Amino acid sequence: MRDFLRRLRRSGETARPPHAWLGALGGLALLALSTVFVIGGLELGTGTPRRLGTGAFPVITGLALAILSLAVIAGDLRDSSEAERPDWISFAAIGAALAIFALSVGRIGLVPGVFLATVTASLPDPSLKFPGKAALGAVVALGCWGLFIGLIGLPFKPFAWN
Amino acid sequence: MDILTGFGQGLLVALEPVNLLYCFIGVFLGTFIGVLPGIGSMAAISMLLPLTFHLDPTAALVMIAGVYYGAEYGGSIASVLMNIPGTPSSSITCIDGYPMARDGRAGIALFASAVASFGGGLIGMVVMAVLAPALASLALNFGPTEYFAVILLGLVAASAVSNGSPVKGIAMVVAGLMLGTVGVDITTGAERFTMGIPEMRDGVHLVIVAMGLFGVGELIVSIRANAAGAHQNAIDYARFYPSRKEWKAMAGPVWRGAGIGSFFGALPGTGQTVASAVAYAVEKKLSPNRANFGKGAIEGVAVPEAANNSATQTAFIPTLTLGVPGSASMALVIGALMMYGIVPGPRLLVDHSDLFWGLVASFLIGNVLLLILNIPMIGLWVRLLQIPYRYMYPTIIVLICVGVYSVNNNVFDIWLTLAFGWAGYLMRLFRFEPAPFLIGFVLGPMMEEQLRRAMLLSRGDASVFLTRPISGTLIAATVLLLAWSLFAAMKARRAGRPALALSDE
Repeated sequence: MRDFLRRLRRSGETARPPHAWLGALGGLALLALSTVFVIGGLELGTGTPRRLGTGAFPVITGLALAILSLAVIAGDLRDSSEAERPDWISFAAIGAALAIFALSVGRIGLVPGVFLATVTASLPDPSLKFPGKAALGAVVALGCWGLFIGLIGLPFKPFAWN
Repeated sequence: MDILTGFGQGLLVALEPVNLLYCFIGVFLGTFIGVLPGIGSMAAISMLLPLTFHLDPTAALVMIAGVYYGAEYGGSIASVLMNIPGTPSSSITCIDGYPMARDGRAGIALFASAVASFGGGLIGMVVMAVLAPALASLALNFGPTEYFAVILLGLVAASAVSNGSPVKGIAMVVAGLMLGTVGVDITTGAERFTMGIPEMRDGVHLVIVAMGLFGVGELIVSIRANAAGAHQNAIDYARFYPSRKEWKAMAGPVWRGAGIGSFFGALPGTGQTVASAVAYAVEKKLSPNRANFGKGAIEGVAVPEAANNSATQTAFIPTLTLGVPGSASMALVIGALMMYGIVPGPRLLVDHSDLFWGLVASFLIGNVLLLILNIPMIGLWVRLLQIPYRYMYPTIIVLICVGVYSVNNNVFDIWLTLAFGWAGYLMRLFRFEPAPFLIGFVLGPMMEEQLRRAMLLSRGDASVFLTRPISGTLIAATVLLLAWSLFAAMKARRAGRPALALSDE
């Protein structure tokens, strides 16, 4: 696992492609989004100029975004600068921390949910060993228990089996 | 009601123990989060917004305002000590603040920054107290056509004068407007783009969008940035108080910085970063000590801090009187007010004058708190900066999770936050600014409502936007601004540099 992470981290340090492709990809994503809103808006009905229908605003904004995304794609394809270096490890770890919290807070309670989310979020940092990550998780979990349930009185269950 | 009576009434509101307490909590927590490198006022407000849901509107707004200027001040601490601006607007403070710190004058630089922020904040508050009622009484004559035109101008200003490409900025605003249509249409009751998910019927919650785009998105970026070495140099904090000569050198720049900051803060779309940059440039031309700018001149710390903080206060003028935010942070303020059923706009001063004047007076109290909190607590912020980031960011992510979950006790909100967090990171990767997206999202429903009303009143004649004098003027200003920003971007592209590296949150 550690080797895999190290290799993944190193892969981000190699030469990067030009920003043009990434920028165009962003423009394409916006174009797809605008298509969804234009089609959805037309299905909802645009009404008349006097009484604009439910779908009128999504169609107007969708068409505007479609034109703008074409301009974005055209502009970015001419961009020869180096692309930003993505940090996929942090991207995945933070996403996983949120997902674990979402999956666990209702099922096993706030304290274990916070513990697991903290440990997961800390995974991208190799300078903190696993016992350190676990200790951090425990401190944050107990702190959240004290602060949110004890002090603020939010209606969370510290442990779901309570 | 004249200004002094209003301010007196506001002072009574702001001095109520509960408002005083939340002002203190806001300023403290705002500074705490603003100190963390790379995490700005936008993320600070997003993270702390759920805490205000249980408060009455005045206390909530006072706390949010405290978080806002606390975070802006906190940003300057990281700038001075580590050369890492905590907020984009404090990047100008780095230019002279960090050399002062390296020179063993970190304490004086932090003190100068606190005093200049205080001076700038006070002047900004006076400008707000004088200008806001005048602007509000003018805006009382606005109909839906004028409102639509004002919102359009605000949206274009906020997107076109942003970082890099104005086309991308406007695209983000439009995408935000589209997201604002998700949920039940209040006019017809029809569901729009809810994908059959019951939780989406009320639309996407502002806290989720803000926490995802700014809290989670910024955090993912900051992990590598801070691991790369946010190391502090050995700095001497022993001396805090400036000498008489240094006090004298600061006085002029504080006035000039506050004047420039007040002007730019009140304009939609420019905000604190532009204010700080312009104030610094002007001071560098005027100062007799200009040769030392960039090498640790105290004027170079005082002027951007005064400009930044006065702009922070005057940014509330268009936000509260017209309902048009100049920045994403102000869009959050509008969103928070709307959650309480208070519609920002000219009626706010009439219908909720206690809230408006209470907020103005809380600026005075907040700035005093900022000063008395920060001078003795500089040591604490320094120690906070020394905590390794590997302990900080997992804690912050958990606070975001709990904050989002506390809004509705619904895990679906956390999944949405995850989606917006990833979207926020990808936006940065694709070089799109998330701030215009949030402004569009907040103003979208308002803009749609005004458009529908205007079209109904004009019996479907769209030319009304051009023929009515105020809206026609505003639309012309919007077109001119758009043309100017596109021209500036093209000129910059030819010269091979970014259009305006001055974006605000």
